[in-house]
Amino acid sequence: MSRPLDGIRILDFTHVLAGPFATRVLGDMGADVVKVNSATRAEGANSAAHPYYIMWNRNKRALALDMSNEATHPICQRLCQRADVIIDNFSVGVLDRWGIGYETVSATNPAVIYVQMSGMGEGGPWSDFITYAPTIHALAGLTHLTGVPGREDIGLGFSYNDHQVGLHGAVVILAALEARQRTGRGQRVDVSQFEVGTNFAGPSLLDYFANGRAARPTGNRLPYDDAAPHDCYPCAGASSDAIEDERWVAIACMTDAQWQALRKLMGDPTWAAEPAFDTAKGRVDGLERLNAGVADWTSKLDASDVMTKCQRAGVPAGVVQTGADLAEHDPQLALTDFLHAIEDPHPTIGSTYADRLPIHFHGTPCEEYVRSREVGEDNAAVLKDWLDMPEEEVRRNEEDGTLT
Amino acid sequence: MATTEGALAGVHILDLTDERGIYGAKLLADLGADVVRPEPPGGDPLRQRGPHRQGVADGSTSLWHAFFASSRRFFAVDPTTPEGAEQLRRLVERSDIVLTCDGSFGTAAVDLDTARKQQPELVVVDTSSFGPNGPWRDYLAPDLVAGALGGACATTGDVDTTPLKAFGELNFMVSGAYVAIAALGALYNVRQTESGQQVDVPVHECIASCLEHVFMWTWYGDDLAHAEGPSLPRRGSLHWSNAYVVMQAVSGSIMVTPAPDPQALILWLVQEEAHEDLLDEKWLEPENLLAYTERLMQLVRDWVAKQDVEELFFEAQSRHCPFGWVLPIEKVALNPQLEARQWWVPYRAGTVETRGPGAPYRFTETPCSLGSYGEPGADSAAILADIGWEDAS
Repeated sequence: MSRPLDGIRILDFTHVLAGPFATRVLGDMGADVVKVNSATRAEGANSAAHPYYIMWNRNKRALALDMSNEATHPICQRLCQRADVIIDNFSVGVLDRWGIGYETVSATNPAVIYVQMSGMGEGGPWSDFITYAPTIHALAGLTHLTGVPGREDIGLGFSYNDHQVGLHGAVVILAALEARQRTGRGQRVDVSQFEVGTNFAGPSLLDYFANGRAARPTGNRLPYDDAAPHDCYPCAGASSDAIEDERWVAIACMTDAQWQALRKLMGDPTWAAEPAFDTAKGRVDGLERLNAGVADWTSKLDASDVMTKCQRAGVPAGVVQTGADLAEHDPQLALTDFLHAIEDPHPTIGSTYADRLPIHFHGTPCEEYVRSREVGEDNAAVLKDWLDMPEEEVRRNEEDGTLT
Repeated sequence: MATTEGALAGVHILDLTDERGIYGAKLLADLGADVVRPEPPGGDPLRQRGPHRQGVADGSTSLWHAFFASSRRFFAVDPTTPEGAEQLRRLVERSDIVLTCDGSFGTAAVDLDTARKQQPELVVVDTSSFGPNGPWRDYLAPDLVAGALGGACATTGDVDTTPLKAFGELNFMVSGAYVAIAALGALYNVRQTESGQQVDVPVHECIASCLEHVFMWTWYGDDLAHAEGPSLPRRGSLHWSNAYVVMQAVSGSIMVTPAPDPQALILWLVQEEAHEDLLDEKWLEPENLLAYTERLMQLVRDWVAKQDVEELFFEAQSRHCPFGWVLPIEKVALNPQLEARQWWVPYRAGTVETRGPGAPYRFTETPCSLGSYGEPGADSAAILADIGWEDAS
């Protein structure tokens, strides 16, 4: 069965996470994504055998082109003529130096959609800054805001913004395809990873500009709305003293009715009968006592039991799931086989795994998962399909070092 | 009014989303689609979300709503009346895409299965917390609970804190981004095949799909030198890779990393005479690699503690070290890069004009331009005229 993006050709110069995540999503949806890598660049997280690379590069074909070798440029330029989409997340200017800048490519391929996802975007005093997702989190306010009051900064322990830049990259590519459908022309899109990250603090930035009020970290409390209890609470059943084995449940009473249901569930303890707790504001004002009471109740119970009882009573609650919980005990993920082993073993590391595209198209389901490929593993197939290059020529180019 | 010059000009979308999908509708609206957002005559309940302009919540002052419901046309409708249900039906009829969240406002009044039969090109994207099936199908999951069950909370926080949710709506902004991808992917397919379809987007899977650290730990822990079990613990600002951590400097804190070139950082320490025993030959022994890394980061921490944070940040960037100055929101608001790229755009909320985030990308041919923000039902008359409602006034 066809997938929604069948027939779209994407030439993928991205690396690490943000760019590869964009093209992974599009590859999952059926686009022919040709990932350009080379033996010289395939180190660390860019190594085709590194778990990190394997995570982000499924459903792509691998072409070996060492762009630092000018002998590869003619082949690359021909590929650019055949591409619907060219995407990179290098610093601004790198592809220009390779002779495949937008002006050059679009002169002969005016329908091309050319997406550049640099850290700071093109232009501006910080445009040359080097960034990774944690750099962006810090500069965008996300590190400062994700934490607890009166404590040193915590922030996000993973590369949230890289994922989001990837998702936003996929959005702009699809939007540009729609515009091309209407106008017949492609275009260049400049995605700023910094602006993507800063966007996530949108309401707080509006609050600052409109009211002069600067947001501060609030732990698990909602920063602007009264909702309580609204936190993570300890539960019984830790399998060891290790922090990763602690058990927690999140409870989020968004309405007074949900609080009353929780109160009943807890056996209507005396502390919860305090009249002030009848309103959300009263509960927020008495948060310390409220949270202590709820925690005292949860701490004697299994986290799953708390969740089930709360949900049955109409109270939003959920186990704070670890990776092991998600992989081994999550009935929703199990239902769709969301986490699965890829059948075809990887030539270097053997078994590999994948999650699924969390978009379920009823008419064009996306159920194909091809393992991440070794550098240059698809040289012959890609060059045949895109350039009609005979296999002997491919082999010659491999032997003389052009395709490595 | 929505912009008409963006990449999605001419695409008609009916936005029946709640918090779980509204960011996706925003992305599409800011890209130029004509996005109609119906709301009850008393106003969208999400107009009660804070922060509010001048701190007053009166249904038209929500800055949360101004951000997430940007570039929309607002339509007041009572779907429980025959007129309201018919108006919604006609809105579906003029739509290329309908965005719903299970149980959200207006969804009970529109028969989308019938509509899809009558409009073969119609795309319906339905966002739900857990998908249409399974034991948790009906579970209630606001952002905190969604993040807990999705795996994002367990690794955020520190040994002395509870697991934490990220500030704001970061979980629902992931599902929102997927909603936009789902809608546009299906629309691309319509352009090729003239066939629309139903698309489901479960928030739970969306969050789980963005956890590189969680599943990599579970699947490939044996290949990661510092993994000690199948689950990554919460450990403050220290990134799962051990390569990024926040350190305290003078006048603020800064995210410090030896990536991508540890030698550049070591050279800097040497130049600053802060390297102590880092050049000792004992560190060349492979078995000392982890201890060496710990020693390096300890010396960096001691050195950073004596540096002015602003000077340190700019010096790091001049050396191509991707340090990140941990900025509070008031400094983010004054960032010279955002100013130079003219990223801020006017936000008109009622009689007050302020400014806020623009779209985070630049299209050379179809520029993004955020539309103005309206009062409840602000565009009802024009929308009634669009659907040929004779009582339009």
